[in-house]
Parts: sequence; C-alpha cells; structure tokens
Amino acid sequence: MIEFLFSRHRPLALLAAAVLAQVLLLAFQIKREHDVRLIRYWTAAVVMPVERGGTWALSKVGGMWTGYVGLRGTRAENARLRGEVDELRMRNRELEGRAAEAQRLGVLLNFRDAHPEAQMLAAQVIGASADPASHTLFINRGERDRVRRNLAVITPDGIVGKIVEVFPATSQVLLINDKDSGAGALLADTRTHGVVKGSGDPDPRLEYVVNDEPVHVGEMILTSGEDRIFPKDLLIGTVASAKAGNPFQVIHIAPAARLDRLEEVIVLLTQQELKRPNDSADSADAQPSAEGIVQKPAAPPAAPAAANAPSSGKAPAPPSGPQN
Amino acid sequence: MSYMLNPGAQSDSNIEVHKYYGGTVVIAAFLALVLQAFLHKYGRWSELIDLPLLVTIYFGVSRRNPVTGLLLGGAIGILQDALSHDNPIGLYGIAKTIVGYLASTIGARIDTQNPVSRFLLVFVFFHFHQAVFAVTERVLLDHPEPFFTLRLLLNSVVTAAFGVVLFAFLDRLRRTS
Repeated sequence: MIEFLFSRHRPLALLAAAVLAQVLLLAFQIKREHDVRLIRYWTAAVVMPVERGGTWALSKVGGMWTGYVGLRGTRAENARLRGEVDELRMRNRELEGRAAEAQRLGVLLNFRDAHPEAQMLAAQVIGASADPASHTLFINRGERDRVRRNLAVITPDGIVGKIVEVFPATSQVLLINDKDSGAGALLADTRTHGVVKGSGDPDPRLEYVVNDEPVHVGEMILTSGEDRIFPKDLLIGTVASAKAGNPFQVIHIAPAARLDRLEEVIVLLTQQELKRPNDSADSADAQPSAEGIVQKPAAPPAAPAAANAPSSGKAPAPPSGPQN
Repeated sequence: MSYMLNPGAQSDSNIEVHKYYGGTVVIAAFLALVLQAFLHKYGRWSELIDLPLLVTIYFGVSRRNPVTGLLLGGAIGILQDALSHDNPIGLYGIAKTIVGYLASTIGARIDTQNPVSRFLLVFVFFHFHQAVFAVTERVLLDHPEPFFTLRLLLNSVVTAAFGVVLFAFLDRLRRTS
C-alpha cells in the first residue's frame, strides 16, 4: 500500500517531504520568546502530551500496584494489628483503672493520716443491691474486721451511709439516698437542723425545715451528730433546690460523695468527732476542707438541743429523729 | 514544438520534454542568483524583477518533471535565502519548491510557448509565490508580510514582461533533436 502510494504519488510525496524539511529547517533557525528556537516549541508541543499521558498511565499502574497488588498481605497484617490494638486498649484500661484506684486509695490514706485520733477502716465496694429501688451496697469488710451495725461509712468527699448488715467478711451499707435512710443534719449558714432522708430518687432531701427559714441554693448541709452514727460537721452535700411546701420546705440535696460511683469507702469504727485540720473557731463562714470536714462557723445563734428538734424550734416537731 | 492545451492524462505520453545542453540549467540558475544579488547593489529597481523565480518557472514548465521541478525550485530558493542578509534558510525555499512543482505540473496542460500565456503564467506564479512566502512569514516568523500591494502588482507585471523576453532567450538554449 505504501509502495503503491509512493509510486503513484511520488512527486507529491517528494514535494511534501521537501517542504516539510524546509519548514523544520526554518523552525530550527527561528527563535521566539526567551530566545527559544521554534523547533523546541514544536517538539515540546508534540512530546509533552505524550509524556503527560505516559506519566499519567505510569502513575495509574503504580497506583494499582501499590493499592492492590502490593497489599496482598495487608488483610492479615490488619487483622493482627487490630488484635494488638484491642489487647493494648484492654491493657491501657487496666492500667488507667489501677492508676485511678491508686489515686483514690491515696486520698483515703491521706484522710486516715489526717485523723489519727479516729479509728477507721478502708473498705472496697464489692457489690450493690439487686433491687433498683434499694440504694445499698456491699463492702469487703465484715465482722472479722470489727465492723458492726450502725457504723458510719464515709468518703473524704462526704458521708455515704451506714452499716445495716454485718457478715463475717462483708457488710451491707445503706446509702443516705435510700428511702429507709435518715441522718441528722444542719444547714451550715444558719445552723438550722433537719433530717436528711432518702426518697428513692438518686438525690436525698433535707426535711423538717420550716418555710420561714432562709435556705439558698448551694448552701452546705452538714451532719449534726444527733443521730449518734455520723460524727458532727461531716459534709453531706449542698442545697440543689429549695421551695416552700406544706408544712415544711422541700429541699433537694446534691450529695458530696458520688454515691453512684463508689469504689473505696471508709468505715468509722467510732462516733468520735473528727478533728478539723485547722481547729480555729474564728472562721466566719463554714468551709469544707479537703477531707470533707467542715470548719465550724462563728457562734451560731441557737443550736438545736436534740435530734427530735431539727429546726430552730419554730417548726412543728418532726417525728422522733432519724431512724437509724 | 508548440502545443496548446493538453487533453488530460492520455497526453502524458505525448508531452514534449525539452532538452538542454549540459549545465544549462545549473548555469542559468546560478546566473539568476548572482545577477539578482549583484544588481541589488545598484538600486531598488532590481527588486522589480525576480530572476530566480523566472528561472524556476521556465525550467519547471520546460522539463515537465515535477520531481526535478521541485528540487530545482527548492535549491534556487535556499540559495536565495542564503544570499539574503537576514532571511532564515527555507523562506524562499518553501515558496520556490512549491512553485517549481506546480510549474512542472501545470506546464504540461497549457500552452507555454505563447508569449501571452507566458506572461499570464509568470504573473500568476509571482503572486502565488508571494502568497506562500507571506503565509510562511506570518505563521513561522510572526511577521505581517502583505499578500498584495501595488508595489507587488508592479513587480509582478515587470517580472512577467521580462519573463517573456527571458523565456524567448532561454528557448534558444534548447538542444535540437
């Protein structure tokens, strides 16, 4: 075919070749911008698209190689690495748990060291009640550890509850937010007495405070010591809300101890009042210490005489104090 | 020796191909280039006549061989470029290559002995040559070379008229069979 074309159109082909040769000769001599020869422009215009195409094709082939063929062992490696990650996560959680436990135990130890006068026992929470309506838990201390009923259970943050059942190696604790619970309490600012009782809700209430008594949100609520279980001036919590009721105010308490996340607690083996870190009575306002012991405020005007009179006397008598 | 319009392909075998004494073509082309360059020194009037173009057309038409026509045209054009002071090699080469090819192709189909035919032939080829030259200048060199001016028209008329005389002179150099 080519031979036929050249034999038949040889003069024309020769003309084209001669003209083309001279055009190339011209392109070799002519210079355009930046002193670049025209033939370089043309060569670049012809070659660059081919090179771009080649580069694109090679990158695609390379991409396929690295993205597919080269990843033959990746699935197995991925599974192995995932296993390692899971294992390390578990290990990390375990270490985090141990670190948190060490921190909590450190706080308990500090609390114990701060109060050498009081006999206390650190205990670990090992279980809780199976009844959702019952707010109790089990600790790993029992009769063998000299634990007995009606001992106070606290944390450095605040009170937790009291021992209600004692077994040889374990004990059951009734939390202050259980509906059967009760503790003598007083408002830190006014020294108004009341009773902290559970209602079945997560947060307990302060009862038997008359409507005339000024109560403000955030005010601290302390143990009064009248129940003969909790030593005096331990922090129970703060006022979360207060509104007038009939015949007493309805006061909700935000417990200082995190009752839903307890892991380590302290069992007070006596009802002896704990020494305050700074036993100065000149302090104007009651302030909780780092160990949940509250500084005594300056000269309360009228301290209540008994647990049976939780308020300042203006209110009707509440029913015979906390039933602990 | 003369013939009128050639009736197509069947006439190819009947085309009369003129022969010249040895070296005639080369010497004529050389003289045309030398004279063109030489006369240019004596004034711009020499630009009125394009001697290399006339030689290209004449031998293309006479020899009636497209291959030799385009080679002769190309060689004359390249040499003309080489003799110019600033033309890149190939500007005239391209134009005269195409003119040589077309002259040898067309020469077989029209009367090339008649002075009027020769005048018109040179006139047309002059402007065709200028057109190819201008296109090449514009495309490759980016120079605004004109396709047609009155000066070019005058040049073409003078060249065509001179061509009639020159062709008659060159006819005498043919080898008689």
